Amino acid sequence: MEITVKVKRCNPQGNADCKPSWQSYDIKAEVGMSVLEVLLDVIAGVDPSLVCRRSCRSAICGSCAMKINGRPLLACDTQIIEEYEKAGRIELEPLDNHRVIKDLAVFQEPPWDEFDKIIPYLNEKDKDVAMTAEDEHAIDASQKCIMCGSCNSVCNALEMEKNYLGPAALAKAWRFVGDVREGKKEKRLDRLSQEHGIWDCVRCVHCTEYCPKDVAPLSAIERLRDKAMAYGIDDNHGAKHSTAMVDSIRRVGRLDEAAMTFKTLGLLRSIGMIPFGMKMEMHGKMPHPVVLPAIDGIDEVRKIMDKREEEKKKEELD
Amino acid sequence: MSLKFAYYPGCASKEITRESSDTTLKVAPLLDIELKEMPKANCCGAGLLKDYDYKLHLAMNARIFAEAEGMGLDIMTICSTCLMVMSTANSELKNDEKLLAETNELLGEAGLTYKGTIDIKHFLWVVMKEVGAEKLKGLVKRPLKGIRLASFYGCHTLRPSSVLGFDDPLNPTSMEEITAALGAESVDYDGRTKCCGFQADLVTEEVALAMTAKRLLSAKDSGAHSVVTPCPFCHINLDSYQSKAERVAGRKIDIPVLHFTQALGIALGLSSKDMGLDRHMVPLQDLLDSI
Repeated sequence: MEITVKVKRCNPQGNADCKPSWQSYDIKAEVGMSVLEVLLDVIAGVDPSLVCRRSCRSAICGSCAMKINGRPLLACDTQIIEEYEKAGRIELEPLDNHRVIKDLAVFQEPPWDEFDKIIPYLNEKDKDVAMTAEDEHAIDASQKCIMCGSCNSVCNALEMEKNYLGPAALAKAWRFVGDVREGKKEKRLDRLSQEHGIWDCVRCVHCTEYCPKDVAPLSAIERLRDKAMAYGIDDNHGAKHSTAMVDSIRRVGRLDEAAMTFKTLGLLRSIGMIPFGMKMEMHGKMPHPVVLPAIDGIDEVRKIMDKREEEKKKEELD
Repeated sequence: MSLKFAYYPGCASKEITRESSDTTLKVAPLLDIELKEMPKANCCGAGLLKDYDYKLHLAMNARIFAEAEGMGLDIMTICSTCLMVMSTANSELKNDEKLLAETNELLGEAGLTYKGTIDIKHFLWVVMKEVGAEKLKGLVKRPLKGIRLASFYGCHTLRPSSVLGFDDPLNPTSMEEITAALGAESVDYDGRTKCCGFQADLVTEEVALAMTAKRLLSAKDSGAHSVVTPCPFCHINLDSYQSKAERVAGRKIDIPVLHFTQALGIALGLSSKDMGLDRHMVPLQDLLDSI
């Protein structure tokens, strides 16, 4: 099958401001060929100046992740004819949220530097702990990460805040925090709860959606937050926000936005919100906590919450 | 045959964005959809409850499902975050007997059980799949002619697609198909399927507002007359916080933002008062005058 492959090219070497431009290659694809194989053919036979990154060619090294028709995918794991028939085009671009080396190859230092920050090895525990199948299951997904950078490339929080640890490193962090053999969980959670850690995530679900290995980084981040609060590490806006939500549900069964703002931001910053609150009031949009009635059956809610709090007390923190 | 659902507007649409729920209650009968209130329904937790305690999050969501199950109805919501939170919890409960049993043990404390029989749908899906664009077209009284709309889907309308599976998370079309049925044009723009920043408003406000500004500017620069969104939380950031986003962007944005329900309402002939259009922070009058 004859296919035109469009590649977004850019060579920032010596010209950091280079504007990317599209180049087309007419290629002949055979059934069974991956996007990567086609690219390697182009480089070998047509245009040796084209650059992409690859290593294993078996979807386990994470080296060849790129945007294929707008979606981050492993080039070695994407059949070119299938993709062409699905989308009607083949457009290749480097991953977003990464600095381009040249063409389709990007620097992987972030996120790899971020992996170093989360200390990617187990810390010894005082006593030996045997891991059960269930224990292993809790961190199973996060162990599948091949560090391809796809999740970071689509992360909306990372798009705006370059200092955020990002979903790849946080999924890896859960791999250690969630491991029953880990000896320094509290210390890890304390560090992860600091600025640009777990609370920078905006829950856009892009990481989980596009991960080629089903690592589900968002679930890992949610579990890290849960664990951090269970350890009492809650002196930050993120934890206060979550706890305020729980209080609100217990009190009225639903979201009490005024109380949540107050409890999350504290008195001083809440006072700073007053002028804007008055603007909202003019449009009838200022939340009024005093008149917010509880839902029917609020007792049911409280009974369930009490029971769960009781259960939690019995669950040991390891 | 009329459609019938247990109606879960979500907390935002009961308060800050109640204009969207008010509109839904007026639009639904015009589309032969009967909505039954859920007086006992609690908040789904918007994911924050899941951060706090996964098992409590499941139990609180199961309590909502149990009410709908008792009514013998599936749930229809107009909130994308409620949709995502409830759908993922429901899918986990339906596919894991042990988890369902543990959750029911907690519910049992309040004399409740959830059997795992209901589904959750967004109003957008119901209009697309069960009413259909053709029928909708026939009901339009005031076509949105000459209006260019920028659909802002909202993350939780589309993702995770493995659970929601209604529309393509990267190249969705449902909003544009409905927009076309209402007689308006659609614009394509960079922020269409990205995040508005809402969940970070109280945590990392500057990041949230920079995100809101970037999405709004990409819609504005595409030549849209208005944004339209099926998510009330997106609406809060895109409309209510637009003036704050302008401050971060350092430039005027000034683009009105319709709830998806209001786009339907305008085309189906509801009055501005019916749809609470005066509640918007960014004025809509010019847009309405141009229809």
